[in-house]
Amino acid sequence: MKLDFGFIWTAFIALLPAVPTALAITAVSVFCGLIIGTAVAVIRLYKVPVLYPIASAYVTVIRGTPMLTHLFIIYFGLPMLIDGATDSLGLSFRSVSIPMIGFAYISFSITAGAYMSEVVRSGLLAVNRGQIEAAYSIGMTTFQAMRRIILPQAFAASLPNLSNMVIGMLHGSTLAFTVSVVEINAKAQIVATTNWKFFEAYLAAALLFWGLTFLIERLTALAERRFNLYNRGGVS
Amino acid sequence: MGEPFDFHYLLDYLVKLVPTLQMTLLIVACSIVIGLGIGLVVALPQLYKIPVLRRLSQVYLSFFRGTPILIQLFLFYYGLPEILKLVYVDVSKVPALYFVILTYALHSGAYLSEMIRAAVGAVDRGQVEAAYAVGMTGFQAFTRIVLPQATAISLPVFSNLVIANLKDTSLAFSLGIMELTGKSQTLAVMSRHFVETYISLAIIYFVISYGLEKLFHLVERKLLRHERQIVSDEKPSRYRKWKQRRFALSPGFGRGGQENEA
Repeated sequence: MKLDFGFIWTAFIALLPAVPTALAITAVSVFCGLIIGTAVAVIRLYKVPVLYPIASAYVTVIRGTPMLTHLFIIYFGLPMLIDGATDSLGLSFRSVSIPMIGFAYISFSITAGAYMSEVVRSGLLAVNRGQIEAAYSIGMTTFQAMRRIILPQAFAASLPNLSNMVIGMLHGSTLAFTVSVVEINAKAQIVATTNWKFFEAYLAAALLFWGLTFLIERLTALAERRFNLYNRGGVS
Repeated sequence: MGEPFDFHYLLDYLVKLVPTLQMTLLIVACSIVIGLGIGLVVALPQLYKIPVLRRLSQVYLSFFRGTPILIQLFLFYYGLPEILKLVYVDVSKVPALYFVILTYALHSGAYLSEMIRAAVGAVDRGQVEAAYAVGMTGFQAFTRIVLPQATAISLPVFSNLVIANLKDTSLAFSLGIMELTGKSQTLAVMSRHFVETYISLAIIYFVISYGLEKLFHLVERKLLRHERQIVSDEKPSRYRKWKQRRFALSPGFGRGGQENEA
């Protein structure tokens, strides 16, 4: 059998409609992950009494288990919890009405949150200790110092890791096919079943991902350059 | 969906899943060992700046780091037999396990080569020069002087990569490999106790990756102690320099969600 270049192109075109789904999963999980991660990182950094062990356990457990198991546990476990809760409360809401992609959003956000907390933590630790002392000395509260002084700098410092994270979540979005979300991988499978040219379809998917990853890398490089420029202007 | 939660099944499935751990660990071990070889071969042209090979290894790295492991798995599983058919090698009877191991080896090979490159780059330039000065050849200098030091430096990154690889093997079920995740799927479908199965699956993965992490930490501490002992006899500053280098190295290797996953 020869490689069917025509079909690679056909598959590539057919895969394009699935790109927004993959990007949506990536964007939502990275965004929610960033929020969860920041909260967890701050809790761990300040050693908040009760929450600290919980946050540590969350990060250790999530980072110690595969993303796929999180997805499965959420996909099968969450409906049971929701249905149980609504039954006992007498509400008419049923977990069936949650779209499949919702489970992917929730589970990937939880996964991303744990990894993101490490990214944020390393970013926060990279900020000079003198910065927060200076903020205190001019009378800012901890929250103000955090929001105005530390977090912007930490964000700039953790940009490379953040980009890795975004790429990781983009690649992770392929797992959503296991809960019947039609993203790029599932689409490739569907396209290929019409004429059994799996290799060509997956080649097209690989090219698509390669291109997307390349794009993210370029964008990060641009953003980084911008942040570095700003930093040099701001500090010295 | 499924049956109500039953704690009994959790323990039951934990026992049933443990035997398939063998398969998961087999994939991890084989792919890491082969991946180390690939990584070394790929890293060398970049380290010694060999003209054409350097470009090739860059394309290899970019491809394997730029596409999801799941796509790679399918690509190799469906594509390799077709390509090998062109050179009249029939691999249609070869079990899927070999394709899986090959894919994971190539995938982690890309990351391992980056690790090797960074670690070799972190070894002091003076070390190689000293090796040349005492009359070693390039090969001798690399194997006797640079490699042992680079190994020590790269251990934290290596531990991360092994654990990421372990978690990535959960995708092998999509090609029908009966490893932990594949087995858990069949168990779950048979009894419809989905949540219990996947929780026990998560427990096993967690215990293994936690154990691996602690193990690597132990090895690392051992290497660190050794380094400190030597250094305290001669120059006290080298230990600190080594440690700084190590910390400067590690953050660049987050593999994100899977990995990285990472």
